[in-house]
Amino acid sequence: MEFIGYMGDVFTPINFMLLLIGTIGGLILGATPGLSPTMAVALLIPFTFKLDATQGLILLGAAYTSTVAGGAVSAILLKIPGAPANIATTLDGHTMARKGQGARALQLSFIASLVGGVFGVFLLIFLTPVLAQWALAFGPSHLFWLAILGVTVIGSLDSSSVVKGLLSGCIGLWLATVGFDDIMGAQRFIFHDAVAGGINIIPALIGLFAIPQVITMFANGRKPSETEVLSVERHPIREALKEVAGRTRALSIGTAVGSFIGLIPGVGGQIAGLVAYDQSRKVSSEREKFGTGHSEGIIAAESANNAMVGPSLVPLLTLSIPGSPTAAVLLGGLLIHGIFPGSDLFDNHPQVAWTFINSMLIGQIMMCIFGLYVAGLAARVAQVPNAVMAAVVLGLAVFGSYSVQHSMGDVYVMAALGTGMYFLERFGFSAAPLVLGLILGPIAEANFVQGSMIANATSNLGSYFLTGPLNLTLIAIVVASIVYSAWMEIRHRRYTTKDEAVAKEEALS
Amino acid sequence: MSAIWQTQHVLASGIVAAVGVGVAYISYTAQPAQAFLFPRLISTVFVVLALWTFGKAVIGKTKVGNGLNRTQMIHIAPGLIVALVYIFWAAKGLGFYTATAIAFFILLTLYDPSPHNEPRTWIKRVVITAGFMAVMYGLFAMLLNVFTPREIFF
Amino acid sequence: MRKLIAAASMALVSLTGAALADGHENYPERPLMMMVSYGAGGATDFQARIVTMTAGNEDALGLPIAILNKPGAGGRVGWNWFATQAEADGYTLGAYNVPHFIAQSIEGGVSYTADSFEPIANWGADPAVFVVSADSEFNTMEDVVNYAKENPGKLTFSGAGLFVGHHIAALQLEKAAGVKLAYIPNNKGGAGAMKAVIAGEVLGGVNNLSDAFRAQQAGNIKILGVFDLERSDFLPDVPTMAEQGFDIDNSSVNFRGVMVPKGTPQPIIDKLAETVPEMFKNPRVAKQMKAGGSPMHIMTRDEVLEMWAAREETLQELLSGL
Repeated sequence: MEFIGYMGDVFTPINFMLLLIGTIGGLILGATPGLSPTMAVALLIPFTFKLDATQGLILLGAAYTSTVAGGAVSAILLKIPGAPANIATTLDGHTMARKGQGARALQLSFIASLVGGVFGVFLLIFLTPVLAQWALAFGPSHLFWLAILGVTVIGSLDSSSVVKGLLSGCIGLWLATVGFDDIMGAQRFIFHDAVAGGINIIPALIGLFAIPQVITMFANGRKPSETEVLSVERHPIREALKEVAGRTRALSIGTAVGSFIGLIPGVGGQIAGLVAYDQSRKVSSEREKFGTGHSEGIIAAESANNAMVGPSLVPLLTLSIPGSPTAAVLLGGLLIHGIFPGSDLFDNHPQVAWTFINSMLIGQIMMCIFGLYVAGLAARVAQVPNAVMAAVVLGLAVFGSYSVQHSMGDVYVMAALGTGMYFLERFGFSAAPLVLGLILGPIAEANFVQGSMIANATSNLGSYFLTGPLNLTLIAIVVASIVYSAWMEIRHRRYTTKDEAVAKEEALS
Repeated sequence: MSAIWQTQHVLASGIVAAVGVGVAYISYTAQPAQAFLFPRLISTVFVVLALWTFGKAVIGKTKVGNGLNRTQMIHIAPGLIVALVYIFWAAKGLGFYTATAIAFFILLTLYDPSPHNEPRTWIKRVVITAGFMAVMYGLFAMLLNVFTPREIFF
Repeated sequence: MRKLIAAASMALVSLTGAALADGHENYPERPLMMMVSYGAGGATDFQARIVTMTAGNEDALGLPIAILNKPGAGGRVGWNWFATQAEADGYTLGAYNVPHFIAQSIEGGVSYTADSFEPIANWGADPAVFVVSADSEFNTMEDVVNYAKENPGKLTFSGAGLFVGHHIAALQLEKAAGVKLAYIPNNKGGAGAMKAVIAGEVLGGVNNLSDAFRAQQAGNIKILGVFDLERSDFLPDVPTMAEQGFDIDNSSVNFRGVMVPKGTPQPIIDKLAETVPEMFKNPRVAKQMKAGGSPMHIMTRDEVLEMWAAREETLQELLSGL
C-alpha cells in the first residue's frame, strides 16, 4: 500500500501539468502512423533532461500508457495499426467504424484499455517479486515454444480458410528471414538494396494494412460512396460502459492474457493483443461475428495491449533488465538522472519509483477521460469522402514509414508489400497472419539457435527442448490449440458450402 | 463460378507457389548452410501449402476470395499508377512535400465525384490539398523533426 | 607560354579551392543526424544521446543532432547503410563501435572496412567484464577456468553477438587460458545476454562494464574480471584479467565515437574534428555520463585514426586463427 502514500506527488500543479502533457501528447503521437510507443517515448527523452527525475518519469510514464492506447485510434479510424500491439484492434474496430459506429468503437477501446491498464499497473504494484520470477523463467526453449504457440494462432486467425491463413503466415515467416541473420550475421534473400537491412516491422505493418485499404477505395471508382450519406451514430458513454461491463468474458481473457504474456521479455507486448483476440474468439458463443465489427474483438484486443504496460516494466524495475524496447528507452530516462533500476530504486528513491507507477495509474484514467471526450469528434473521420480518405491514408503511409528510420528503402518495402497484399487479399489470403509470421519468425529462430547452442554444449537437444514443466505445459497448450482449431474447422465445414462462404465474404468486403 | 474467376485464382496461387519454390531452392543451396537452417524449415512448409492451394485452384475447388472484376480493374488502374509513380519516383525525385501535394491533388481529381466543370469543385480540392500539406508539415517537419528528401522546395 | 598556363592553372586551382572552402564556411546550416547501429535504449544509443545533447549550444555546432537508430545483426545493418547509402554531405554522422565493425569487416560479408569511414572523435571506452549470477559457485576467474578444464566445451557463457567486443573478449580468454568454452551469442544484445546470466540460462557471460556495474549494484551478479589493461574507476575492487594471470590486452574494449562516411568534404571533417571533442568535454555531458555509469574517454581524430589502425592489426591476427 506504499504507493498511496506517494499519490499526492502526482497532483502537485507542475507534476499534474506534465502528466496531462504526457497523456495528450502520447495520444497524438500514438495515433500518428509510424510512431510506435518506443519511438514516441524516445522522442520525449530530451525534454526530461531539463526536468528532475520524478518529473521526467511522470512525463514518460504517462506518455507510455497513452501511446499504447493512442495506437488504437489510427487502427480503428484509418486501419493503420500504430504498433504490432494494435493489429488485433483493426480486425473488428475498423469494421465497426466503417459502419458509422466509430464513436462506439473508440469508446469501447478506451474503456477496455483503462480496465486492462489499471489491472496491469496493480499487478506491478502488488505482485512485482512474483512476476519477476515469472519473467526470468522463460529461457530460449520456452520462448521458442511460445513463438510456436503464436504460429498455431496464425491458422485460426483467418476465419475463412485455414490453409491460406497458414500460407500467409509462412510468407510472413519467410519475409522475416530477409536481411542479415541476427546471430551468424550471414546475408539472406537480399534481392534489392531496400531490404538489405531486413524488413522493418513498422513500415511493413503500415503497408500491409493501409495500402490495401487505399486500393479498395480506388476500386469504388468515381462515384459518391456510401460514406457521404453515412450518418455517424452518436453513442452515449453510458452505453459503452454498460457494453464493456456486459462483456466480462472478453474483458477478463484480454486482461489476463495481456498481463501474463506481456510480461515475458521480448515477446509478449507484440503478440498479446492477437493471442487475446484469438482466445476470446475460441471461447465466445458468437464466434462467427468476430471480424464483422463485434465488440468482444475490440475489448479483448485493447484490454490485452494495455494490460501489458505495467507488467512489461517488471523486469526493468526489479532486475534492471529492459524486457521490451520501450522499457529500454525508459531505462535511459532513469540513467540520465543517475538512478539505477533494481532494488536500489525502491530502497533509495521510493519517491521516484512510486510516483512513476502512480503516474501510469492516473495516466490511464486521464487517457480514458480524454479519449472518451474526443471519441465522438474523431469518429467523424468515417464521413470523410472516399477520395480524400484514400489520398490522406496514402500520404500518411509514405511519411509514416519514412520517419521510422529516415529511409526511402522502408517506403519502397511498405508500398511493395501493401500492393502485393491487396491482390493476395482478393484471393483469400490475409494480412494479420502474415504480420504475425513476420513478428514471430525472428523470435522462434533466434531462440531455437541459442537453445540448440546451449543444448549442444551441456546436454542434448531433445532434453533441452522437450523436458521440464514449463516446456511441457507450453507444448500441451500448443497441441490443444491445434486440435481445437482442427476440430472447429471440421465441424464448421459440415454445414458451410462454397457458395455460403463466398456470400459471407462478399457481405464483408 | 466463372472461368475468369478460376483463371485468376490459378494465376495468383501459381505466383505464390513459384515464390515458394524459389525460396526453397535458395534455402537449400545457399551458403553458409547453418544460417539457412530455419529458412529451409519454413520454405518446406511454404511449398507444401502453396502447392496444395495451387492444386485446389486448378481443379476449381477454391472456397474464398472474390478476385477482381473488369470494372474494379478499370477503377484501380489510374489510382494505382499515380500511387506507384509517387512512391517509387516522385517522392525522392521531387521531394516529399512537392510530390505528396501533386499526388494528393491528382488522386482527388481522379476519384472525387463532384462535377469537374464547376469552379467550386476545384477550389475545394486545392483547399483540401493545402490543408493536408499544412498538417503533414506541422506534424513531421516541425513537431517530429523528420528531415524528408526535399529537392525543389521545403 | 607553358609558365603562363601553369600560373593560370595554379590560380584557377587556388580559386576553386577558395570557392570550395567558401561553400562550407557556414556549415552546419541545418540540423544534423547521427546514425546509431543499435536499438533505442541500448548502451551506445543512450550514450550517443547524452554526448550530442549540447550540440545545439553556440560554442558547439549551433544546431541539434538527431539520433537515428538502424539496429540489426550486431550493427552490420547500420554500418552497411552508412557505408553505402548515407550521404557524404557532412549532415549525416554515424556512431562507431570498435572493435565491432573492424572485426566484422575482417570476417567479411559486409560492404565496409575501416577505410569506408572517416573518424571525427571518440567519446567513450567501455571495457568488457566477465560476469556470473549472484548465486554462482564461481568467485574468481580461476574457478571459471578450472571448471572449463574439467568440462571442456561445457562452460556456457553469453555475449552480445558474434564479431563484437564480447566475442573478441571470449576468444582472447579461450586463447589465454588454453581452454574450450561455449560462447552463446544473444540476439537481443547486451541486455539479452545479461538476462541469460541472471536467469541462469548460462553459467556466465561477457558484458559491458557499464551494464554490469548497474546489475551488480542491483545485487544480481558478481563481476569476476575486467578485459582491460588497468582496473576501472567504477570497479576498483575487480582485478583485470592480466592480474589474474591471463595474457589479455585491451583489444576487446568497446570504443565509441563519431564518424562520417568517406567522401565527406575535408573542410567539414576538419571543422567537426575541431568542434566535436570540445563538445564532449562539456561538464553537463560528463556529469550525466557519470550518473549513467558510462566511462568517458575523449580522443581526437588523429588519436582515433591511430587506434583504428592498431586494432585492425591485432584483430587480423586474433581472427586469423578461426
